[in-house]
Amino acid sequence: MEHVGPILAAAPVTLGVTAACLAVGALLGMVLLSGRRSRSWVVRTLSRMVIDVLRGIPPIVFLFIVFFGIGSGAIRLAPFEAALIGLGLISAAHLAEIYRGSLLAVNRGQFEASQALGLGRTTTYVRVIGPQAMRVAIPGMVTWAISLLKDSALVSTIGVAEIMSVANQDARASGSSLTPFIVAALIYIALGTPLAFLSRCLERRLGVTGGR
Amino acid sequence: MTAHTPDHPIPILRLEGVCKAFNGHVAVDDVFLEVEMGQVVAIIGSSGSGKSTLLRCINLLDVPDSGRITVDGQPTHVQGGVSTRELMRLRRKVGMVFQSFNLFPHLTVLRNISFPQERVLGRSRVAADARSMALLERVGLTAKADSHPPRCSGGQQQRVAIARALALDPKIMLFDEPTSALDPELGLEVLAVMRQLADHGMTMIVVTHEIHFAADVADRLVVMAEGRIIEQGDPTSVINEPQVDRTRTFLSAIRDR
Amino acid sequence: MPSSILNDWSGWLPRLLDGLLVSLQVTGLSLVLGFSLGMVFALLSSSRFRVVRRPSVLLVEVGRGMPALVMLQLVYFGLPSAGITLDTFPATVLALTLTTAAYTSEIIRAGLRAVPAGQLEAAGALGLSKADVTRFIVTPQGLRIALPTLMGFAILIFQISALAFSLGLPELLSQAYSIGAATFRYFDILLLAGLLYLAITIPASWLVGRLEKRLAMHL
Repeated sequence: MEHVGPILAAAPVTLGVTAACLAVGALLGMVLLSGRRSRSWVVRTLSRMVIDVLRGIPPIVFLFIVFFGIGSGAIRLAPFEAALIGLGLISAAHLAEIYRGSLLAVNRGQFEASQALGLGRTTTYVRVIGPQAMRVAIPGMVTWAISLLKDSALVSTIGVAEIMSVANQDARASGSSLTPFIVAALIYIALGTPLAFLSRCLERRLGVTGGR
Repeated sequence: MTAHTPDHPIPILRLEGVCKAFNGHVAVDDVFLEVEMGQVVAIIGSSGSGKSTLLRCINLLDVPDSGRITVDGQPTHVQGGVSTRELMRLRRKVGMVFQSFNLFPHLTVLRNISFPQERVLGRSRVAADARSMALLERVGLTAKADSHPPRCSGGQQQRVAIARALALDPKIMLFDEPTSALDPELGLEVLAVMRQLADHGMTMIVVTHEIHFAADVADRLVVMAEGRIIEQGDPTSVINEPQVDRTRTFLSAIRDR
Repeated sequence: MPSSILNDWSGWLPRLLDGLLVSLQVTGLSLVLGFSLGMVFALLSSSRFRVVRRPSVLLVEVGRGMPALVMLQLVYFGLPSAGITLDTFPATVLALTLTTAAYTSEIIRAGLRAVPAGQLEAAGALGLSKADVTRFIVTPQGLRIALPTLMGFAILIFQISALAFSLGLPELLSQAYSIGAATFRYFDILLLAGLLYLAITIPASWLVGRLEKRLAMHL
């Protein structure tokens, strides 16, 4: 049981990394989204490529490129900073796609009605389309948050002192190496379960029937 | 009116004291209904009147809270639940056509009709296919036998759905707003098939908005409101001289559309 | 200067391709075993009997709730304490199989749930037995619905295989990292490794997108 203490103490770091990367991703995701919907073909294609690359590359490879590749050359990046950039950008790409899907889910008629009423573009998006799109996007965002929580374990490989790195140290130090990992697994599950529950509740309350 | 009106009417369906409530809201309120063999009964009413629920109670898609349903002399008491055997026995005698057709999209039209015959009646593939083709001929869709439902128009799909239900030789055919999801032209194809079916003496209970169909084909018109039958009788009489105010209101609302 | 990078790349490529092969082998094997095990879990998790259903659902939730990295390290570093010592390749396959099975179970169950209720009603009205409905109506369509998501997940497992570097499996990332450690040219080699991964994942994702559109047409 002495394993549980230190590993549990690292949980806030895990949550911190997850929350920070989610925030970065949520904001940058909107940038990518507007790029994707730009009137310029060049910007549109470039955004698509960036999103495809960020979603197609294994997160750990991207993290390594950021930390070892970029972060140990001219620019020195601390592990946490590299994690933020790496997972933050990947989150941005995934969230951009979630945003895009949610916009598509909003009835075309809403946009046309706004135009007919003479509402400007900004007002339309902020007051009419946006809120409706958010209702569809939120379950998807929660699902991504859960994935991100699990992906945050990766940052142990570049030296961030979160759950997995503590578990690893513990395993090396003590004789029994099974327990620390089981404890780590249980903590991740315990952290993720409320989020999963939240997602299900939200989906029911927001009355979203997903397309496939 | 149908061509055949039996001289000695045999009640093929009897509903006694059928009640059904959903979450405290009463959908069907103590209904008594008798249908004779070969009769065509049309049920009309506004939404929420309980007409669809009543229909679905007949083949126990919605199991009533209380009452007795007698099909072809075989009573089924719903108190205390219905056993699977009783359920299957009842459903073998009653066919149903749905508003949204509900064909199986991953099977061809022919398989849609043959497959239930093989599994439910134990017919051989050859026998089932032969019957299926005969029915497709009756509804005018032999050309579509090897197509998949998504490739067929709504009217075609509904005619296939009718053939699928008929293939099991039911004693009674239930229709739950069969043309409501169809364009008027496509609806006409379906109504023509239903008319033909009625002329051949099939016992039919049709929940519908099509007053003209009801007037032309039905032997009896049943008007429902708030889970109760408020009026029933000869279609022409009910439509032209409704006895109950509610019926009057409902009919004039439809007419004004 | 660009040409010198390409030179280095062509020099490093053979080792990276060896690593890629290992990545693909581990992925392929895990998918075959994992999909099969996942179908079993899907069945068990849908069982009427609580005795069967509850443990199955629990195992699936655990498998889905823990990070893949934890699963990998638990299997390779942790199990020896319990007397089960596996080599890097089998350990990776075992870990990825378990993860795949857990996710597959839920993907399949979601697919089965997505079959329109109207069809179940029609099947019931026709007098088809519950077993027949499950076998002939729900399962074929449910699997068809689940297929694109399963394919998408397969691509994900390929990405996850990179985590096996932490076990010392000589897969693609491992090879890239050791070349990087030797030459200190981390950026160049990791970039090449990244491109190799993308060379698989991007076309694969595009194919899955096409598949999704084709299936949507039929149902």
